[in-house]
Amino acid sequence: MEIQGKMIEATREIFSSMVMMDIEVNEVMEDHGPLNDTITGMIGLAGTHKGVLAIHLPYSLAMAITSSFLVMDVKEINEDVHDAVGEIANMLGGNVKTILSEKGRDIDLSLPSTISGSQYSFQSDKAVDKVIIEFDTGNGTFMVEMDLEK
Amino acid sequence: MNVGQAIIDGTREVFTTMLMVELETGDPIEGQGGDVQANITSMLGLGKDIRGMLAVHCPENVAKEITGTFLGMEVQELDGDVKDAIGEIANMVAGNLKIFFQENGQDIELAIPTTVVGDSFHTSGMSGATRVAVPFTMNGSTFLIELKYMNAT
Repeated sequence: MEIQGKMIEATREIFSSMVMMDIEVNEVMEDHGPLNDTITGMIGLAGTHKGVLAIHLPYSLAMAITSSFLVMDVKEINEDVHDAVGEIANMLGGNVKTILSEKGRDIDLSLPSTISGSQYSFQSDKAVDKVIIEFDTGNGTFMVEMDLEK
Repeated sequence: MNVGQAIIDGTREVFTTMLMVELETGDPIEGQGGDVQANITSMLGLGKDIRGMLAVHCPENVAKEITGTFLGMEVQELDGDVKDAIGEIANMVAGNLKIFFQENGQDIELAIPTTVVGDSFHTSGMSGATRVAVPFTMNGSTFLIELKYMNAT
């Protein structure tokens, strides 16, 4: 429950400061189906807690965010969009690791990675505790997911 | 420090001990390029002295063959067994890379494998990271193991 609250706080902070978007929580979920026309930014957590943190953005929203980042019109899912979404995953990871360990010192972040496609499933292979939060931007929804090894 | 060779040695060891298969190895590819079409990709993060991401990219036929050999049975589709098997390959290769980096005086910690399955998806990493990819061939079909990494600051 506490982790959920902090994930929400971290995501809202990044979206308001970096993307200039005010977002609301839509729904807290335990699972999601296949992702369609989506780009995922993910980052691994290692150390005292092992897991994966991911943000799943529909193409339209990912392009809007990248446009706002770069102050230019982005009309396709290109390397700029992948870089921007990877950077958001990186920032979320930096924020979330301080939640899981005091001052974040016992948790190490991996490099971020991105996945985009018209349809794919995204699933951690270990037994994990999953928290998925869907946010509404007023211009489409997106999800932030954390899978922590049990 | 030869990361390409470490990927080759680490992967071949996993396949000989776990699957009793001798893999054919292609030349390590550094920098961009060398993508294989993948229907299933397992990714696993590395942190601490090195920040990285290991990925095992498999076309469907290779993923099913690896899983079938692992389980000793015919595999028909990309189901949970296949995800588990490819994730486990990623986990074991990462474990061998951890030992390799340790021998070079760098401590790394592993995250957990996450698997992506789909007909057409594209993966990318952080620009600025070093990328080494090695193609392997098992019974005539090729898959790719890729490591992106940079020194933690």
